[in-house]
Amino acid sequence: MPHEISPVSDRANSVVIVGAGIVGMSAAYFLSQAGWRVTVLDQGAPASGATGAADGAVSVASKKAGPLMTLAVAGAQFYQDLCDAGVLDGEFVRRLTYVVATEPNELPVLDRHATQLREAGVTLRALSKAERDQALGSLAPTTRAAIEVQGDGHAIGYKVVERFRRIGGFAVKRNVAVQGLWRQAGKVAGVETEQGIERADAVLVAAGRGSAAFLDVADVIRPRKGQLIITERGEGIVPRFPGPLMSCRYLISKGSQPGGDAPAGRSFGLVIDPLQTGQFLIGGTREDSADGSQTDIEAVRRLLQEAVELVPALARLRVLRVFAGIRAATRDGLPIVGRLSAHENVWIATGFEGDGICLGPLMGRVSQQLISGAHVNVDISALNPARFRAEAAA
Amino acid sequence: MRSMDVLVIGGGPAGVAAAAEMARSGLKVTLCEQGGALGGAIHRQPGNPARAVPVPRAQSARWHKLSALLAKTDAEVLTFHAFIGLDATGAVLVEDRRQGRLLVLRVRALVLAVGGLERVVPRPGWHLPGVVTVGGLQVMMKVTGRGPAGSVLLAGSGPLLLAVAAQMTALGAPPLAILERSRQVLSPLRAAPLLLWPRYLAEAAGYMRRLMQAGVPWRLGSSVQTIRPTDDGRLETVIVDGAGAVSRIVVDKVALHDGLRSNSDGLPPAAHATDRNPHVVLAGDCREALGGVAAIADGRNAAQQVIARLTGAPPMSSASRRIVDTERRAQQALANIFDFGIPDLLKLPDETILCRCEGRTVGALRQMLATDDQPSPREIKLNGRIGMGSCQGRFCVEWAGAMLAQQTCSAQPAGAEFIGNRWPSRPVAIRSLLGPAVADAISSIPPNESD
Repeated sequence: MPHEISPVSDRANSVVIVGAGIVGMSAAYFLSQAGWRVTVLDQGAPASGATGAADGAVSVASKKAGPLMTLAVAGAQFYQDLCDAGVLDGEFVRRLTYVVATEPNELPVLDRHATQLREAGVTLRALSKAERDQALGSLAPTTRAAIEVQGDGHAIGYKVVERFRRIGGFAVKRNVAVQGLWRQAGKVAGVETEQGIERADAVLVAAGRGSAAFLDVADVIRPRKGQLIITERGEGIVPRFPGPLMSCRYLISKGSQPGGDAPAGRSFGLVIDPLQTGQFLIGGTREDSADGSQTDIEAVRRLLQEAVELVPALARLRVLRVFAGIRAATRDGLPIVGRLSAHENVWIATGFEGDGICLGPLMGRVSQQLISGAHVNVDISALNPARFRAEAAA
Repeated sequence: MRSMDVLVIGGGPAGVAAAAEMARSGLKVTLCEQGGALGGAIHRQPGNPARAVPVPRAQSARWHKLSALLAKTDAEVLTFHAFIGLDATGAVLVEDRRQGRLLVLRVRALVLAVGGLERVVPRPGWHLPGVVTVGGLQVMMKVTGRGPAGSVLLAGSGPLLLAVAAQMTALGAPPLAILERSRQVLSPLRAAPLLLWPRYLAEAAGYMRRLMQAGVPWRLGSSVQTIRPTDDGRLETVIVDGAGAVSRIVVDKVALHDGLRSNSDGLPPAAHATDRNPHVVLAGDCREALGGVAAIADGRNAAQQVIARLTGAPPMSSASRRIVDTERRAQQALANIFDFGIPDLLKLPDETILCRCEGRTVGALRQMLATDDQPSPREIKLNGRIGMGSCQGRFCVEWAGAMLAQQTCSAQPAGAEFIGNRWPSRPVAIRSLLGPAVADAISSIPPNESD
């Protein structure tokens, strides 16, 4: 891109963002809107990490009660605001989510989760058998209970990133691996890359797993692999349902509800997501693995088995694609968002595990507010990067 | 299901040659063919033996010899078995299409010989019903023993146009004309190197004699630019000849062909065995599209490579390798007189279909590329839905890559940069994946540690 390189002082304040995933690209957009000169660096291409391998759930329904659930409510609302403002129009749709219980021991899990969602201000209703049959005609008759959760939505991570790139007004540099912070006169003044120094007044690290190198406490960010399945289009074969079906096992696998007897290192939580293309996304695993390019038949069979148990008509479709991605999970299950205490001009926003699509735009906005010194209008105290440091010291 | 050392995928000449050679060396070999019989596209056997399409005598002799060789071994042949992929644990996945079940196999070596791909350069209307590939038309004739009904125009470039036109003529259904895009086919200077391969010249002369007798015109320098549906369900073709003159002709069918190419996108790459994975070798046209003679030699090459790996046999003989080299030169000589180049796709009208599975157009991709900030192949795939369809990108990524290269004046990205090499390499029925017999089919041979 023909981009005039001028001395920083001549221009607006500059910021370099490490990572062109949904968080980094959202932040780039908001910082650019706020008058910052923004450069996004990515070791690959936009959305080439977890963002491009995610399902599209902007989901409150799946969240653990507490800060994540509260932030997810705000995250979904922020998507709606951005749509209304014309920024993300067409890239986000509101839809219902259904959480279903098929085993007797899942009934109390469903009850507890419904109560927690209500307490977070989410509107939902329990569906009677007749209502289930009407809304979700393709459900197996063995389904014991289901709740219908309002306020969720759907957005495809890589499409959100592409929208921000197109309207952005900032530079994206592909295939630039960042090696570390660059200091001048004792102060961070940019980042070092394989191609040279990228100067900036401020740095935002939004590099998912790659963010770990910028933290001063080890083993905070851990790779958590997920495998997903895409079917062919199901028109005329599988009755449509209005939103994703989530099993209670998904809540357990995700850690949103306690329980489960999955062997350590790998758990399965079923989501069947009707995509706008007419295809179905079936997910997903949570595995302690960093091998993101690989999928295995055992996981795929297990997910398909559970999916077909819930929606028997799926057995009549073909699998088109299977893929894996690596989530950046944190030791305590909460994202890391805030300023790095060792530097006055370096911020971080990472560790979203499976919630980056839901929280990405909101956290991009929050990052802009933090970096600009503006008021942050959501409570992010639980996400403070310093919490791990305190823990290490104690 | 018995225990096995090597799994060969594809029952064409490369796969059969590889399987026969390895079985003769004492390895336990299983050969999977997705269709109902061995032979591949080139040696496709007729559904009814009484209605066989005439093929060159040398070609059928090669197949008879090869299949007899395989029959003398103890290699196991599984028809209606399609390759699905190699998973993260090194398991080879094969769909048994008749039983609707999945085989999960652990083998020491995997030979992929799935055949080449027929190229058809996009042009307006190439996706319409009634437009077929020349190779597809030939396979249909080989199976049914009948020529196509109605009036047919063959267009594109390459010797296959002549062969298929001659076979159609022999079946009493000659094409209206062959439009050969290249003007150089009869140029003595360009054609001279082909004198080294009299086999090809003799074959071509035979076809041309038949076509001349039947009065089928072979129009050099002519190409089909546009195809439109007519109100009565036929196809109107817009033809530009060597002098640039435009004419229109209405036909029932258009068969297109712009050469053959390798077909390794979406397959696991060739690699030495690891503690998880089998030794993987690609053989025949899927590795490099050099035709039937080379495919047999390349299958033997692959076999010798596997034999050396698994048994520690002495270094392979180089005879097969020399045949492949010779055939490569022959194909280069042919490419020199035909026209397998990619035309300027950026000049195609917006509505031209680029990806038939997902209905993606040239215009949509052009719009994605019309920016200073050039997207990577992966971004083109995700945001442009190129390579996302049920063909797993086999047919569109070459053209998307070409457009990207033409727009940016850079080298064309490999297909794998768009689509990687994930399994399933073809859509697979969920029923098959969940089939009950899977566990029974698991063979328990550990990978060979001697590698």
